[in-house]
Amino acid sequence: MSQKNDSVNPFDPTGMFKNMRDSGIDAWSKIMIQLVNTDAYAQATGAMLDTWLATSTPFRKAIESTMTQVLTNLNMPTRNDVTSLAERLTNIEMRLDDMEAKVDDTLRAARKPAAAPKAKETKDAV
Amino acid sequence: MTATETLTPLLADLYAELERITENTRTFSRLLTTDAKIAQTPKEVVWTLNKAKLYRYVPVVPPAQRHRIPLLMVFAIMNRPYVLDLRPGHSFVEYMLKKGFDLYLLDWGIPGPEDRNMKFDDYALEYLPRVIRKLKTVSGSDEFSMLGWCLGALISTIYASARPDDGLKNLILLTAPLDFSDKQAGGFIRWTSEKAFNADRIVDTMGNVPGEMIDYGAKALKPVENYVSNYVNLWDNIENPKVVDSWHAMNTWVRETIPMAGGAYRQLINDFYKENRLMNDTLVARGEPIHLANLRASLLNIIAESDHITPPCQSENAMVKVGSTDKELFKIRGGHIGMMAGSGAEKNTWPHIEHWLTKRSD
Repeated sequence: MSQKNDSVNPFDPTGMFKNMRDSGIDAWSKIMIQLVNTDAYAQATGAMLDTWLATSTPFRKAIESTMTQVLTNLNMPTRNDVTSLAERLTNIEMRLDDMEAKVDDTLRAARKPAAAPKAKETKDAV
Repeated sequence: MTATETLTPLLADLYAELERITENTRTFSRLLTTDAKIAQTPKEVVWTLNKAKLYRYVPVVPPAQRHRIPLLMVFAIMNRPYVLDLRPGHSFVEYMLKKGFDLYLLDWGIPGPEDRNMKFDDYALEYLPRVIRKLKTVSGSDEFSMLGWCLGALISTIYASARPDDGLKNLILLTAPLDFSDKQAGGFIRWTSEKAFNADRIVDTMGNVPGEMIDYGAKALKPVENYVSNYVNLWDNIENPKVVDSWHAMNTWVRETIPMAGGAYRQLINDFYKENRLMNDTLVARGEPIHLANLRASLLNIIAESDHITPPCQSENAMVKVGSTDKELFKIRGGHIGMMAGSGAEKNTWPHIEHWLTKRSD
């Protein structure tokens, strides 16, 4: 995304510092890429993620059921209500799309015979 | 010369330097916290379904100079597709429009909780055929070309293998993750092939997989480059408007992370990464067996040599399996995104795609 300035003036302390910084970052980057590509890192990541999911699930479920109860008591739609409504809307959209396709096909078929004499007229005129 | 006279220019220089640093800091902060204007090429929506939208770009050349066969662009499902139209003056869309292509872009949209069960089957065999039906109606052409990038390339490949007689003439795949037989090739496959990595549990817990989690996964493959060097390089070039504009546009696109439908994520990890079903001819989508040998469209498979997200081996082995007789494998320098959106794309990748497609689009 950006450009590096490779020309370094040896008498410029800032330039030398930049050069050292870039070398350090490059070395660090190589080490980190090697690290994330090891099986040990993969195992550790998988285990951490699994532990987090296992421990957070009960809390998540508790919050969900509490919210559902609260919203139901307040006569408000729950997340599930909204989700199922959205699913129904998608199904309606699919049916509309099917109908639109049929209308397109019908229009295309209707245009074909009408287009034929028109082409003949143009030819005759020429 | 008095001491005051000597000190004054020094103080003035110091003040000017402090002012410059302050201004650069302001610019740096602005770049990190604001959005650049991206996706500026004029387009119109020609079809929508659920969250998906099909756009047609407004042509810029007269009909007589346009290619007969339209091009549909299909991007991945976990990022916005606007990287194909990044900014005026540096946009693949703009480039192809000027070359006379009738361009269509499929935006999958942002999945909601109601889309948590959507799979690649749905994207490839429910949505894509509908998109193509509409594209044919709008363009008036029964034939079309398709360009798929990343997971969009996977979806395009499934479609092309399942519907070989649907009018697909040319297929361009960019960094397509198709073959997962090499379990040592890259970080993603190492992480996800682990028994401890349980995609079912992730999806059962979260529904859709959060965009932040996917973004972290992609950035963690090169952590220092993404979290440190990216910003250090920006600071070094903060006074170069060309670099700043380019960085800002790319960062705007990168920052917009979107969730991935849970069903698709589960299938990506289990069916593709772990079991390699597409290459093993064991993939079944909506009850249909999918065989790469049925893919007959002319094929241009473009691979980025430094791609750490889709390592080259995940794309190139598919060339042997596809049924296309007209096929080309094109390797290009660059990374997963840089090959199409980087500064060199305009000189290398885009002209190659344009030349290949022009020969096959009239």
